Amino acid sequence: MQNALQLVWLIPFFPLIGFLINGLFRKQLSKSLIALTGCGTILVSFILSVWVFLQVKNGNSDVAEYFNFISAGSFKVPFAFQVDALSSLFLLIITGIGFIIHVYSTSYMKDETGEHYGRYFSYLNLFVFSMLLLVMGANYVIMYLGWEGVALCSYLLIGYWFKNTEYSKAANKAFIMNRVGDFAFLLALFWIVSKTGSVSFDVVFSKASALGTSDVTIITLLLFIGATAKSAQIPLYTWLPDAMAGPTPVSALIHAATMVNAGIYMVTRSKALYSLAPLSQDVIAITGLATAILAATIAMKQNDIKKVLAYSTVSQLGYIFLALGVGAYTAGIFHVMTHAFFKALLFLAAGSVIHAMGGEQDIRRMGGMKGKLKITYITFLVGCLAISGIPPFSGFFSKDAILLSAYEHNKILYVVALFGALLTAYYMFRLLFLTFNGSFRGTEEQQHHLHESPAAMTIPLIILAVLSFAGGFAGIPDIFLKGGDAIAEFLSPVLPPEGGKTVSHSTELILMLLTTVLVLAVIVLAWFRFRKYKPEEEKGLGKFLKNKWYVDELYEKIIINPLDRFGAFLSNVFDRSVVDGLVNIVGRLVNYGSRQVRLLQSGQVTSYVLLMVLSMLLIMAVQFFLRK
Amino acid sequence: MISLTGLNLILPQLIIALAAIIVMLSIAVKRCHRFTNLFTLLSFAAAAISVLYIPRGSFGVSSLFVVDGFGKFFTVLIACAGFVITLMSYHYLNAREKRNEEYYILLLLSSLGALTMVISNHFVSFFLSLEVLSVSLYALIGYLKEEPAGIESGIKYLVLAAVSSSFLLFGIALIYMQTGHLDLSGIAAGLSSSGEFSGVFIAGLAMVIVGIGFKMALVPFHLWTPDIYAGASAPVSAFVATVSKGAVFAFLLRLFYSTGGLENKNVWTVFTIIAVASMLFGNWLALRQQNIKRLLAYSSIGHLGYLMVAFLAITDRGMQAATFYLVVYFTGMLAAFGTVIYMSNKKGEALYIDDYRGLFWKKPWLAAIFTTVMLSLAGIPLTAGFLGKLYLLTAGTEVGIWLLVIVLVVSSGIGLFYYLRVVAVMFAGKNENEASSEPVIGKIFPHGLVLTLLFLLLLWFGVYPSSLLEIIQQIASVIR
Amino acid sequence: MSITLILFWFLSVLALFSAAMVVASKNPVYSVLWLILVFFAISGHYLLLNAQFLAIVNIIVYAGAIMVLFLFVIMLMNLNKSNEPKRNKWLNLAGVLAGGCLLLVLVAALKNAETKATLAETGTGNIGLIENLGKALFTDYVVPFEISSVLFLSAMVGAVVLGKKESSPDTAGQSGKSSEK
Repeated sequence: MQNALQLVWLIPFFPLIGFLINGLFRKQLSKSLIALTGCGTILVSFILSVWVFLQVKNGNSDVAEYFNFISAGSFKVPFAFQVDALSSLFLLIITGIGFIIHVYSTSYMKDETGEHYGRYFSYLNLFVFSMLLLVMGANYVIMYLGWEGVALCSYLLIGYWFKNTEYSKAANKAFIMNRVGDFAFLLALFWIVSKTGSVSFDVVFSKASALGTSDVTIITLLLFIGATAKSAQIPLYTWLPDAMAGPTPVSALIHAATMVNAGIYMVTRSKALYSLAPLSQDVIAITGLATAILAATIAMKQNDIKKVLAYSTVSQLGYIFLALGVGAYTAGIFHVMTHAFFKALLFLAAGSVIHAMGGEQDIRRMGGMKGKLKITYITFLVGCLAISGIPPFSGFFSKDAILLSAYEHNKILYVVALFGALLTAYYMFRLLFLTFNGSFRGTEEQQHHLHESPAAMTIPLIILAVLSFAGGFAGIPDIFLKGGDAIAEFLSPVLPPEGGKTVSHSTELILMLLTTVLVLAVIVLAWFRFRKYKPEEEKGLGKFLKNKWYVDELYEKIIINPLDRFGAFLSNVFDRSVVDGLVNIVGRLVNYGSRQVRLLQSGQVTSYVLLMVLSMLLIMAVQFFLRK
Repeated sequence: MISLTGLNLILPQLIIALAAIIVMLSIAVKRCHRFTNLFTLLSFAAAAISVLYIPRGSFGVSSLFVVDGFGKFFTVLIACAGFVITLMSYHYLNAREKRNEEYYILLLLSSLGALTMVISNHFVSFFLSLEVLSVSLYALIGYLKEEPAGIESGIKYLVLAAVSSSFLLFGIALIYMQTGHLDLSGIAAGLSSSGEFSGVFIAGLAMVIVGIGFKMALVPFHLWTPDIYAGASAPVSAFVATVSKGAVFAFLLRLFYSTGGLENKNVWTVFTIIAVASMLFGNWLALRQQNIKRLLAYSSIGHLGYLMVAFLAITDRGMQAATFYLVVYFTGMLAAFGTVIYMSNKKGEALYIDDYRGLFWKKPWLAAIFTTVMLSLAGIPLTAGFLGKLYLLTAGTEVGIWLLVIVLVVSSGIGLFYYLRVVAVMFAGKNENEASSEPVIGKIFPHGLVLTLLFLLLLWFGVYPSSLLEIIQQIASVIR
Repeated sequence: MSITLILFWFLSVLALFSAAMVVASKNPVYSVLWLILVFFAISGHYLLLNAQFLAIVNIIVYAGAIMVLFLFVIMLMNLNKSNEPKRNKWLNLAGVLAGGCLLLVLVAALKNAETKATLAETGTGNIGLIENLGKALFTDYVVPFEISSVLFLSAMVGAVVLGKKESSPDTAGQSGKSSEK
């Protein structure tokens, strides 16, 4: 069966075919054919991925080499795919979630004209293709190909409605920020080449131990900068919330299945390097945690349904990086998987809400929708419970694994991370209650328009809801079920278990209980705070709380209000002024300089000759002065 | 004494020279644009094919020329570029000029200059080739009479090229004075015996660098480029961007790799400064350009700067990378100018970026080609440009010239902005005044075909570069 | 001081002075006349190097034919002082400075040059004789010799193309008139 794995090239091949067909013949094909091609190719890839997954589960893994991409003397870059536990798991996530999102899109985008419809699906397929390339590559160059491709596709998809300048600005921002990351990645790539003489994972990792600590630290830090851009970490995270400008299924695809996971995958893949660079690991852990908290506080003040979800993605990714930073790779990957389930679910459900509201995204104008949008409501609720980490939903297991690793590593990290988890529960339920509970706050017209989405949209929601519920059972910790941690076992060939656990079972149980109780308390708090939320009645509501729930009021005054303000401050001042300002200043400087230098281009032959003579003098001068 | 057996070594050059004379005579008999164009096409094709009849190995032709794998590779490259440019010129000229036949004589003669330059092994043959190349170019640049800008830029090029040639000649004289040789191997011997460079030699070398730098449009000798690109007709601009620069670069490689002139730290430093300045200024100045030909001019300055990175690596890898990148650059530039030609009509060329607004909705196929070209020039993966750049970077990192490598990465980052701006405009909303931008030259079979071919080449090299690299690897070691 | 040395210095000074005057003269006709003087001085140098053929050819072709052509063109174009474009004063100054620096650098470079090995053979060399020249040109240098003929061909075609203003062939005969404009 070893040779059968050579066929893995078919997995990225089908989305590529789909891209070509939809891209070239989008005018000729009917909409249903386009949808069929788009979804069908991904489905085939998914089936193949399942097959590969089963092969890997049976203990097969292989590097499938096809041809030499670049060869110059001893330096070779083979076009090769890596098939092992890590990549096969990512293949499943990408093609599985990707397929569900494709199906959802067929209905969500049905109002577009045929040509745009085809363009949309071709981009979507290209996106999946690039991501598959990134994950399957057996060396850094192939990974970089996918890395760039993903950036390009996100540029195309975010700017899908390119007639709107805001949208193309967002697309540009995403692209520029990603370029910063790519630049770091490239530098790391060349550093690796110059030190080890190869780019293939197996060679690089086997030679890693021979490298000096400073080299490894520089390489890993550069790689991490690349990862911060793709996976939206401090300081390169602001593009992700702006990237909400694209169509909602695209956001789901970016957030759940593809782009943001790229950085995590890359860091995990380079585990052999990171384990040699403790400094880089600390940087990752701290950056991840800081991002998690920062994004969570910002999410509390957002009123755009998609923005809240976007910041929650940034925050969750922060958790994953925290896990990677403390060396709990399995926990990190586990959370990637569960996060893919519930974040795809939340986004698609949000898309369903937006669809019902006729494009409205402001949660202040929603409310009371649970009656009309039953399926959406229930699935959204499942997503919220999962992301908040309520047992036995999937998020509970994965988040708990991360928190536990943090606890083992450093108690302070744990406390901060726990605090972040509470914030997550708070803002997610705020979102849920404002959207679905209370009374409807939109216009009459919108109220009449409210309807449940068609089956092509609700069925994906239901599937994802089931996954969000049950996905966590893949990684049940030992205290509940001996040998229940299937995912760790599956990943063990690539990510061997990290030593023995230092925490006793009773401590672990207590921590779990503590987390769960606190999260539940926060949810209850959110319920009272937001179930009857009306913007104009905020004072009355505040009074009500003051009289009956004095403790809560105090809590709000002391913690939540400052946090609210801090969140607002961060979102307004830091996010908009500092980071955007920096980007703008750089742009303006370059433009200004370009204008000045252009003045030299006067069009007069005399001045051209003069410059020529002066330059020659300079050359001679350099030669003479450096001669000795 | 040159024997008859030696003649087959310079078969491509002979074919092109003969073709130029036949075209001239045919004009005296009867003017026929179609015949002239076809004949020129055939002779370029014949020149490219005739390379197959040259025996393998390195042969000297009367100590002034050397025919080796390197020379043959560039001969084919230049002949192919000439072929493509001839093909693109036909409808372009038909639409605007009545008297087109002389254009082909000049094109053939100019290409002949390039063809002899790539096999030059001697300063005399180099200088003569350079002059043949440039003298024909003066007239080619000013060929279109209806456009005063063409004549103006032709004169401008004449004056500047004459100045640079005189510097070059003076420099050659000084080098001769010091070493007593004009052939490259003699100079190499003279250099190695003396050990240290004398003042006269340095002065001479600096002047030669000025002359070569001018032809390759490296900063700070680049000022003519945007004016000439914008003033000349698009096919001629394509010729200047590819054949003219490529041939001089080939000689530069031969000059410095076979004499070992780069071993000297100071010469190396000078070229490093030139390379860094070219990469940064070229891309930087292109940022604000609205005129597509000027944009391509600045972009070509940047690309020549990239080439210098590989040149400065002084390794076989560097040489291979440079050759590979040059092929990619040729393909990209020809396709870019091909699109500009395709888009132009009787009233004029599609000069401004705004002329391409919404092109995707009118001519999706053309827009797709142009997008690929821009992405390749920008160096986005899965296009040839990416691999070319990667190859340059590998060559640079291998010997640890980090300054150049970093500047290359930074400047291609800057470059991305203006390439993507063009792409974004093409995908933007439809143009209001559609009638004015409707191309006349469009819908022409051979032109579209050759564009498609170039487009496929860009993708082919981007996905499966080994096919080209294997050939390049064979020629690379010959030169040293 | 031998007579050859005196002649050498005289001719050199004459050539340099005349060359400077070519550039400095305001009237283009004077420039051409000074240029003729330069050619005569150079021919004198050729004679000193025992290259009689080159000396004669230089006078016949350059000082004779080409310069007369130059004169005709300049007179036909009827250049006036008012036609001369105004130059930027600073640009002029910068040009003078840059040129001066270049001269200085070159003089500095040449001052220390070891020229003994390649000292010119005045009066005794025979490279410039017709026989030797012909042999070299038609054996070793035959390909470049042919290429230089190609160079003239391209110059000729280029001149015809640029000189012909009318694009229709039937008015080609009037090209001479139009160039007077």
